[in-house]
Amino acid sequence: MATTQLKSDAIMDMMKQHLSTDAGKELTEKIGLVYQINVAPKKLGFEEVTYIVDLKKGEVTKGKYEGGKVDATFSFKDDDFVKVATGKMNPQIAFIRGAMKIKGSLSAAQKFTPDIFPKPSKL
Amino acid sequence: MAMRDLVNGGAACAVPGSSSSSNPLGALTNALLGSSSKTQERLKEIPNATPSGPGPQFYSQDQHLGSIPGSELDQPVLQPGAQGADFFRGFRSVDQNGLGAAWDEVQRGGPMPPMGPMYEPVQPTFEGPPQRVLSNFLHSFVESSRGGIPFRPAPVPVLGLSQSDKQCIRDRSSIMARHFFADRGEEFINSQVNALLSSLDIDDGIQARGHMPGRFRELDDYWNESQAVTKPGLHPADSWAAEFDQHQHGMNHGGPDAWVNSFEQQHGVNGWATEFEQGQSQLMSNQMRSTNMQNLAAMEQTRKLAHTLSQDGNPKFQNSRFLQFVSKMSRGELIMDENEVKAGPAPGDWATEYEQQYLGPPSWADQFANEKLARGPEQWADEFASANRQQESAEDQWVNEFSKLNVDDWVDEFAEGPVGGSSADAWANAYDEFLTERSAEKQNSGVYVFSDMNPYVGHPEPMKEGQELFRKGLLSEAALALEAEVMKNPENAEGWRLLGVTHAENDDDQQAIAAMMRAQEADPSNLEVLLALGVSHTNELEQATALKYLYGWLRNHPKYGSIAPPELADSLYHTDIARLFTEASQMNPEDADVHIVLGVLFNLSREFDRAITSFQTALQLKPNDYSLWNKLGATQANSVQSADAISAYQQALDLKPNYVRAWANMGISYANQGMYKESIPYYVRALAMNPKADNAWQYLRLSLSCASRHDLIEACEARNLDLLQKEFPL
Repeated sequence: MATTQLKSDAIMDMMKQHLSTDAGKELTEKIGLVYQINVAPKKLGFEEVTYIVDLKKGEVTKGKYEGGKVDATFSFKDDDFVKVATGKMNPQIAFIRGAMKIKGSLSAAQKFTPDIFPKPSKL
Repeated sequence: MAMRDLVNGGAACAVPGSSSSSNPLGALTNALLGSSSKTQERLKEIPNATPSGPGPQFYSQDQHLGSIPGSELDQPVLQPGAQGADFFRGFRSVDQNGLGAAWDEVQRGGPMPPMGPMYEPVQPTFEGPPQRVLSNFLHSFVESSRGGIPFRPAPVPVLGLSQSDKQCIRDRSSIMARHFFADRGEEFINSQVNALLSSLDIDDGIQARGHMPGRFRELDDYWNESQAVTKPGLHPADSWAAEFDQHQHGMNHGGPDAWVNSFEQQHGVNGWATEFEQGQSQLMSNQMRSTNMQNLAAMEQTRKLAHTLSQDGNPKFQNSRFLQFVSKMSRGELIMDENEVKAGPAPGDWATEYEQQYLGPPSWADQFANEKLARGPEQWADEFASANRQQESAEDQWVNEFSKLNVDDWVDEFAEGPVGGSSADAWANAYDEFLTERSAEKQNSGVYVFSDMNPYVGHPEPMKEGQELFRKGLLSEAALALEAEVMKNPENAEGWRLLGVTHAENDDDQQAIAAMMRAQEADPSNLEVLLALGVSHTNELEQATALKYLYGWLRNHPKYGSIAPPELADSLYHTDIARLFTEASQMNPEDADVHIVLGVLFNLSREFDRAITSFQTALQLKPNDYSLWNKLGATQANSVQSADAISAYQQALDLKPNYVRAWANMGISYANQGMYKESIPYYVRALAMNPKADNAWQYLRLSLSCASRHDLIEACEARNLDLLQKEFPL
């Protein structure tokens, strides 16, 4: 596997595996929504990498969503996404700070909470 | 919109068989607007609303009302507000002579109402037919707008209003109130209207648009506070009157200045919200009554008042700053364009700015006063409203825009979710966190942060002490001793290295990295340091940096340095480096360290299976390396083999019971399996050993809310370990 530049990749890879576990399957049952997450390395909106966190099917994919419309889209900088996903910054702060942009259904966005992502363990 | 239309509602509201002035609201309008004949003419030019169909009426039938039992009202009803109304009417009657004359009149004790407690039970105001009662009642409501003081609900007799009457009053009064209080916050308007309506026993449908109790606690507080200023049983205006009375007896000077002074004395500098409110009301009433009043002394006083307020550290102020902050954030749209939002201006600045914007330069008021003659009050209201909108009252904006965006719903639901707390609290907390985080970030940029109050400073041999403490597993103590050492000998690479190791085991990678970088400065080729830096940066998901240090390990290694071409250092690719390390491991398969580095490398590229194999190989060579067991466990956890991970962590903890990192990782493994309740005691254990492990605090908070232990989130926020340990023994 090639070296990737985004920290978010690590989280997304873990998320991908996480969704195959029982805890991950519970998530898809509980949430059942499709999120698009745009992660920019340095500046919001620039050189964004698009991930689809499909909590309907329990998949994480890179690139545009093929299955129609996503329920909500979030945009982050790489560091901020990691902070939110690991619970270092709660989504409210992220939103207040402008570290997180939201598009799409509000009720879908409300279910986007830090506990959906697995936490990385430390070596 | 023409005020008259609002109030009269066109012909639809006229009571059949009577002139429009028998409509209480109509009468009210006349009373309010009729002061200038010019205005009257202008108003007549405004086309009336076309009466379309049988619109809602204020009074279905006069006769109907008259027949209601008890409506004959032979019992007088106490209505304190009416006192205020009289008082104000007295004011207006001397309008032409200006405020000074009014003051004189007050001094003479002319229209001075009696003090509240001494009320005579006989008050004619609410006697008579229900229509008059209602008229008077609505009058007092509007009069309260003059004073800019919260309207207090008052008992009124049963009026027998029909449903459509109520509907009509409700709708009209909401609109009217928005005109009267155009300079006030939405919540103030709503509370005013609610107070009116609740007195009239109209309540349906108000909740939908109005003030929602409990929703925004601070708004409730605001409302309560503004209520609290008025003494019970006393209309605000009466308390003014009482104040005047005191002045009459006690003080020796009069005039607007005294008036303002007495204000300050009465309310102190603390309740800024109320004061500001009243300061505003002074400004407002001055403008309203100062048609030919040249003297703006009172206004200057108001400005001074605001100055005082700006120096006040009252939490209300902070709150409002927060409100404005949020309003600024949410102004455009839900989406922010800026990457980062700069903190708002300091409270003082804000106040000054607010003052400038809001109170405006005197010329503005002057101009306003001059123009007022030529314009109808109804235009004045409109204009004031629009001007006001431009100047953006913070509360107004916040409430409006928030309700537009439905962000509050979002917050509510968030509060129900894992974040916890009531919505307003959550926002406030979030903001606090934001501020602390910002200040923390400034300190936290790869620079080692020394502890305050280190008892080991001055210790004769802190290095030895530190090593001893580390060996005993007292990590937090060891860190202090080692800090004392490196303060004494900043070039002690081993001191820094051990300090870094201590922090890593204590689950604090930021400090570990900072210490290791100092170690590397002192000893650039130390392999252990290079490996530790590689590991810590891997944990922080900083791939490129981690790769740099791991490659540095290879280059500096006496055996493998030869296979590492120096030109590779300029363009590090993970595949190249992994290949080189694999080569090295083949050269010397018995070297556990190469396998360890390989394991870290495969973690970086998230080839967890290969990483696990590498660590397992290393463990066969070094079965008692607790940090190696932890590395294996963490890798297994990251590749969702949580059950295996937990047994690996257990191995590590058997070898080193105080291994904070392993305890925290244990918690993570349970939490990632959705076993939040089980994860909590492990986090608490880790934190008991190192209360500075910020990650563990954050994870603990998440687990507490996911396990529905909202009762202990506060303890978590307050970092109350005693309580948490009692609650979650391991």
